[in-house]
Amino acid sequence: MAGNFWQSSHYQQWMLDKQDLQRERQQDLKVLTEDEYQKVMIFFANFIQGLGEQLKVRQQVIATATVYFKRFYARNSLKCIDPWLMAPTCIFLASKVEEFGVISNTRLISTCQNVVKNKFGYAFPQEYPYRIQNVLECEFFLLEMMDCCLILFHPYRPLTKYCADLSSENELLPLAWRIINDSLRTDVPLLYPPYLIALACLHMACVIKQKDIKQWCAELSVDTDIILDIARTLIGLYDVWKNYDEKKEIAGILAKMPKPKLSPSRPPSEGPNGQDGSNNSQNQGQSMQQSGMQSSGP
Amino acid sequence: MSSSTSAGGSSARFSPYENLKYPYCDEDSKYEKLAKIGQGTFGEVFKARCKKTKTVVAMKKVLMDNEKEGFPITALREIKILQLLDHVNVVSLKEICSSRSSNYNRYKSTFYLVFEFCEHDLAGLLSNISVTFTLAEIKQVMKQLMNGLFYIHSNKILHRDMKAANILITKQGVLKLADFGLARAYSVTSRQPNRYTNRVVTLWYRPPELLLGERNYSTPIDQWGAGCIMAEMWTRSPIMQGTTEQNQLTLIAQLCGSITPEVWPGVEKLELYNKIELPKGLKRKVKERLRFYIKDAYALDLLDRLLALDPSRRVNSDEALNHDFFWMDPEPAPLTPMLSRHTTSMFEYLAPPRRQAHPPVRNVPHPAPTKAPNPDQHFERTY
Repeated sequence: MAGNFWQSSHYQQWMLDKQDLQRERQQDLKVLTEDEYQKVMIFFANFIQGLGEQLKVRQQVIATATVYFKRFYARNSLKCIDPWLMAPTCIFLASKVEEFGVISNTRLISTCQNVVKNKFGYAFPQEYPYRIQNVLECEFFLLEMMDCCLILFHPYRPLTKYCADLSSENELLPLAWRIINDSLRTDVPLLYPPYLIALACLHMACVIKQKDIKQWCAELSVDTDIILDIARTLIGLYDVWKNYDEKKEIAGILAKMPKPKLSPSRPPSEGPNGQDGSNNSQNQGQSMQQSGMQSSGP
Repeated sequence: MSSSTSAGGSSARFSPYENLKYPYCDEDSKYEKLAKIGQGTFGEVFKARCKKTKTVVAMKKVLMDNEKEGFPITALREIKILQLLDHVNVVSLKEICSSRSSNYNRYKSTFYLVFEFCEHDLAGLLSNISVTFTLAEIKQVMKQLMNGLFYIHSNKILHRDMKAANILITKQGVLKLADFGLARAYSVTSRQPNRYTNRVVTLWYRPPELLLGERNYSTPIDQWGAGCIMAEMWTRSPIMQGTTEQNQLTLIAQLCGSITPEVWPGVEKLELYNKIELPKGLKRKVKERLRFYIKDAYALDLLDRLLALDPSRRVNSDEALNHDFFWMDPEPAPLTPMLSRHTTSMFEYLAPPRRQAHPPVRNVPHPAPTKAPNPDQHFERTY
């Protein structure tokens, strides 16, 4: 994408700081521990990745969608809009923004149903309950919440340039690239400019491959403390992964997750599509709701 | 599958969303609408005033035509591109507003793009016979147009809808490129040819390569449009008003000469080259035909280069800005004195159609000796 990062809304409006994130999360952290919150975010990044792969969109679309998702919940509680709905909405919007075209409505929903059933059944045993109407509605909320700040800069492009400069396209690039993908499971994309994330991932790739690029780094005028900060966050992620079995634990965490409350203003018989499964789940006051959205009242 | 009515029901069943936080997006009610001033690619445009600051703005309503598409891709493009661009000759997007979703609008808010207000558009000005441009003023218009194009092209953006109605002019005489609803970023990595849609650009301003099915096009498509607009500064109405794509190509050939591999190497490889009827044996007559309107030799020369059939030989905005046209006497002169004589806004939307006002070039093989003002032309302005 054209343009200058330093003049972009990404830099000017959407570089957040840790205290800011912490403050906005207070409500959710009354219910979830920080560790659990992180696992929820990792899980939905995986879900977005799964949807994206099934829909065969580019990694750029997946990365953009994941950051949109993070932006929304950086400003809102998990109970405002069900993340199970927000995830496909982010993919739907990102695909348009990244010029990948409009994803067919039926394809988007059927992909959600299939991916939930085949890949994430351990986290969500019911049928995927949302319909395209919910996604289109949710897209509006997402756009408003982001103030239509659509353009994102990702670390992939700077990384490619650095690796070309180091003539290390074969050795370092693939590994550092995968570390960038992993960084989407952390708060890093909300906190740091993409070129620094790229450098941190490159640094980690060098450590793993035991390759010395000190000479090259010496010529960069960047704050190494920030690079190390990013690296530490990523190492933190790998630490979490070491002793974590998502398949076993996530269902319990998701059950705890704050959810949109049911407001029983109308009988369920007037429900949206009269599908038994989803209506039942509402009757039981379960997590999934047709609309998935709820006010974030006190 | 849920039908649309039932989806409305689904929303209503839950407590309202008004308590969601809107950290950035202001409510549209901070503006009061004054008048409708146009119809953009994706919606109506209003003149409006901020209730608090009294600043006058243009508000473009995002129409939700295609329910399946969700938020329209054209609006997304315009938003993301204008958020990137910041130049005096590109219209500036001040903010995005929305009506709050509630029970009343089925939880679908209306979005508005809020722009700085410009008093006129070029089509509106050109359709008003009491507005006259001197050569120095035309140079000022063209110089700003080329500056704007140079800026967007250096930022890898194609406008893809150049036409007089999309060129705004403030009362201070500052030109702004507007309506980026068809714009897109283009790539210059030539490993793979691009496959852009060629269904862009208003027919009368559409360059020959698009009409012949080129999908790997680039900045020259905007330069062609700039050439059409430049000629229009003198002719006062679009110079090639085709009725169909075939007819448009015929008009182009009548003005710019037959489209052949001799003048345009490689044209024979374009998808439609053999599928469409191209007039043969026509001489290039750009200068000859426009000499009646345009007396300045430099202007004719620049125009001839902007209307080059072969896109690779068409002058880019940088070359155009270095052309003698801008550097020989009279130099570009501010438009302010001339515009200050006109206190009403002139927009194409509010003007009578220009088509009948003056015959386009094709109808003027032997132009009448004087440019008689059209007695039927009258102007009603809403404010």
